[in-house]
Amino acid sequence: MHKKPLSKQIYDARWCYLFVLPCSILTGMFVIYPIGMSWYFSLLDWTGFTKEAKFIGLQNYYEAVSDKFFWDAFIRSFIFMFGTVPVKIVLGFIIAVFLNNQVLKLAPFFRTVIFMPVVTAIAIIGIVMTFVFSPFNGPANKFLMSINLTSAPIDFLGNPDTVLPTVMGVYVWKWLGITMMYWLAALQTVPQDVYDAAKIDGAEGFRLWIHIILPIVLPFAIVIILVEAVGALNVFPLIETMTAGGPFFSSEVMEVYIFRTAFVTDSGTMPRLGYACAAGVFWGVAVLFITVLQGLWMRRTRRI
Amino acid sequence: MKKKKELKISRRTVMKGALAAGAMMSAGSIPSKLFAGEYNIPDPLKPLPTTGGNMRWIDSGDMKGVFWKKLFPEYAASRGITIEYDGLPWKEINKIVPIAIRNGTVHDVFQLPLGMDPGVAVAEGWVQPWDDYIENIDEWLAAFPSGVYLPGVNQFNGKTYGTCLTANKRTGTCLLYSEKYMSEAGYDPQAGRMTYSEIRDAAKKITKNGNGQYYGWIIGGNQVNRWEDVVHTFGQVGGAHSGRGGFTNRHINFQNGKFQIASDQYMEAVELLLQLKSDGSAFPGVMSMNAPQARALMPQGAAGMIFQGPWCIGVWGRDAPDWKYGIASEPVPDGKEAQPLYIAEGGSNTFWLSANSTMGPFAGDLIRFMGTEQGQIYWAQTVGAADPAVNPDAVAKAGLTGPSAQALAMFAKNILVGPNPIVRNKDVGVVAAKSRVPDPSLALVIQGLYTGQLKGVEAQLKDCNQRYEDALDKAVEEARADGANVTRDDWVFPNWDVYSNYGAEKYQEL
Repeated sequence: MHKKPLSKQIYDARWCYLFVLPCSILTGMFVIYPIGMSWYFSLLDWTGFTKEAKFIGLQNYYEAVSDKFFWDAFIRSFIFMFGTVPVKIVLGFIIAVFLNNQVLKLAPFFRTVIFMPVVTAIAIIGIVMTFVFSPFNGPANKFLMSINLTSAPIDFLGNPDTVLPTVMGVYVWKWLGITMMYWLAALQTVPQDVYDAAKIDGAEGFRLWIHIILPIVLPFAIVIILVEAVGALNVFPLIETMTAGGPFFSSEVMEVYIFRTAFVTDSGTMPRLGYACAAGVFWGVAVLFITVLQGLWMRRTRRI
Repeated sequence: MKKKKELKISRRTVMKGALAAGAMMSAGSIPSKLFAGEYNIPDPLKPLPTTGGNMRWIDSGDMKGVFWKKLFPEYAASRGITIEYDGLPWKEINKIVPIAIRNGTVHDVFQLPLGMDPGVAVAEGWVQPWDDYIENIDEWLAAFPSGVYLPGVNQFNGKTYGTCLTANKRTGTCLLYSEKYMSEAGYDPQAGRMTYSEIRDAAKKITKNGNGQYYGWIIGGNQVNRWEDVVHTFGQVGGAHSGRGGFTNRHINFQNGKFQIASDQYMEAVELLLQLKSDGSAFPGVMSMNAPQARALMPQGAAGMIFQGPWCIGVWGRDAPDWKYGIASEPVPDGKEAQPLYIAEGGSNTFWLSANSTMGPFAGDLIRFMGTEQGQIYWAQTVGAADPAVNPDAVAKAGLTGPSAQALAMFAKNILVGPNPIVRNKDVGVVAAKSRVPDPSLALVIQGLYTGQLKGVEAQLKDCNQRYEDALDKAVEEARADGANVTRDDWVFPNWDVYSNYGAEKYQEL
């Protein structure tokens, strides 16, 4: 069969290309161009707002991978991810299972309450939480002391040992509602006759969920984990408003590190946009690598 | 009965009047005295444009903001323009101004981010000179004390690019204390400068008296520059003579041109902070609050002492007028005489005019007025010691009393003008532009020592000192590679007498 020339194929599909054009232009402007420029900037010794920018090849990358604080922030980002995602997945699932029960009359109310932090501005939550966890008259400490769990107030955000778990806890609370919604959506794809059949076969309670429902919703779990993992690596506004990465870098994740080097710091020296871009590109590639790994895992799981 | 005649003014009449007034103002034909406000704003020296417009102004706020918010509406009304003012903390200025410069939306009048070399701003074409907008600028400049306007600092290529209305003769680490708590602890800081031991003992006693309700000392510990400011100034008081300002001045002993972060005086100051913590005298939670939050807790009775700047005076006066507090000089290490503190020549709060601004005539007219004696008196009366007016005669005539007057007297007694390498060699500015504070900075090292994440004061400060030396060497090397004529010897001032001001004649001796 004679194949049409490419120009003819394009002409025949001209309307499709026309409709794709606006999206392509916007993607090019706001996604492709910034990514390309950040790669280019990462090869420069540049403050970001002077005319002078010197091409230095891969020197910024070399400096980044030689910097202890870069790797500390890098590892801390993954600690944050591994510390929050499993908790959100498990908690979200448990809550979704309870709230998916049609018998529970107050399910819509609880769904709303749990979802409410999701729609609250993250910067507001960050600032409010600094007061909640304040050792001086903060409600968290007042509560702990009232039940005699601690005799002295705990400096949740000022103690290097407690700051990251505290921010992680706030993160889980803030975004738990969205994980719950993902699970609810997944659970609602399970047909009612599956429940009925399981009951007839004598599968109830824990066994019903482990052996019948979970295998059905497992493909959703992979997607949820993927979305949650990428989300947990993007926590800049919460950390910046709650701790700005402190004390002494204890809560500095990669995004805060990049921000700190891209702008004038408290120390009062010039910013280093070129270096920050190198750190950002490195970080972006690392996140992409993880996403690809998860994609491969998802494909493998589907085959199983 | 005859009906009493009422004065009826319709909305249309009011609008007509307002329009007429606006037209008169925009024509620049009405004397500003017609606007009976708090300030007597003189007529412009030459007619201003009649096109009106909106002037955007950004600075670091605090008491400056309090003053501008009172003056700007009156000034704007008198000139037929509007003024949009943003008073923001330095941390925000440091982020916003560079971004606004990058995208061409910077305010008409702005302050440069901390540590940014003004020479870069001029060379990059971000700013324009004030000379065309301040009438008789030479005469105007002559009225300022010597050393405020200097080539390489705020003047470039024979033009004035930066205007200063305030002096930099102040410190940000005074001892501010609750009179009640301090008196109950048996101390009176007004009787003489307190020693480190006395500070420690007073903090312990206040904490004991507080019985969990209040503590001896507080600091905004997550604002890292506070740690560095305290150690730097206390170190100076202890005898570690050094400069103030950006990376290329701060912590450098100009007698030998070396950083002195690892000096005994710095170590003693760090140890004092650690002892306040180990004694249990520090307010719980200092690591999770910034300086304004810590400052706000003082009048609430949360702590007895804070090492902060005179800007607290205005804020406390406004927010807690009945609270009794005192202000005193920084403490001195035991058995030592307090040594002078140093500032570099030049003023503070330098205002720059955006190169893209079309509001230059109005900005220049306003700055010119603020530089006159009357403008300076107005400034001093509101801002007080927080940002002292640069004209000493105006400050004297402002009739300041109480803590403001006390703070100004204290600064006059304690602070001298020290050497400034950039005044000696303008190419030092190129080094400033190339320099990067190494990670972790001194501020972060002190924070790390305080939280216990770093161990060993001496070892940490020695490492930090070496990092700073290496960073300055590297910046000098890079500047030289770019053609700057500069060496580390530019930081050595062998004729510096640490007990006298370093003036123009001293630079000529070099």
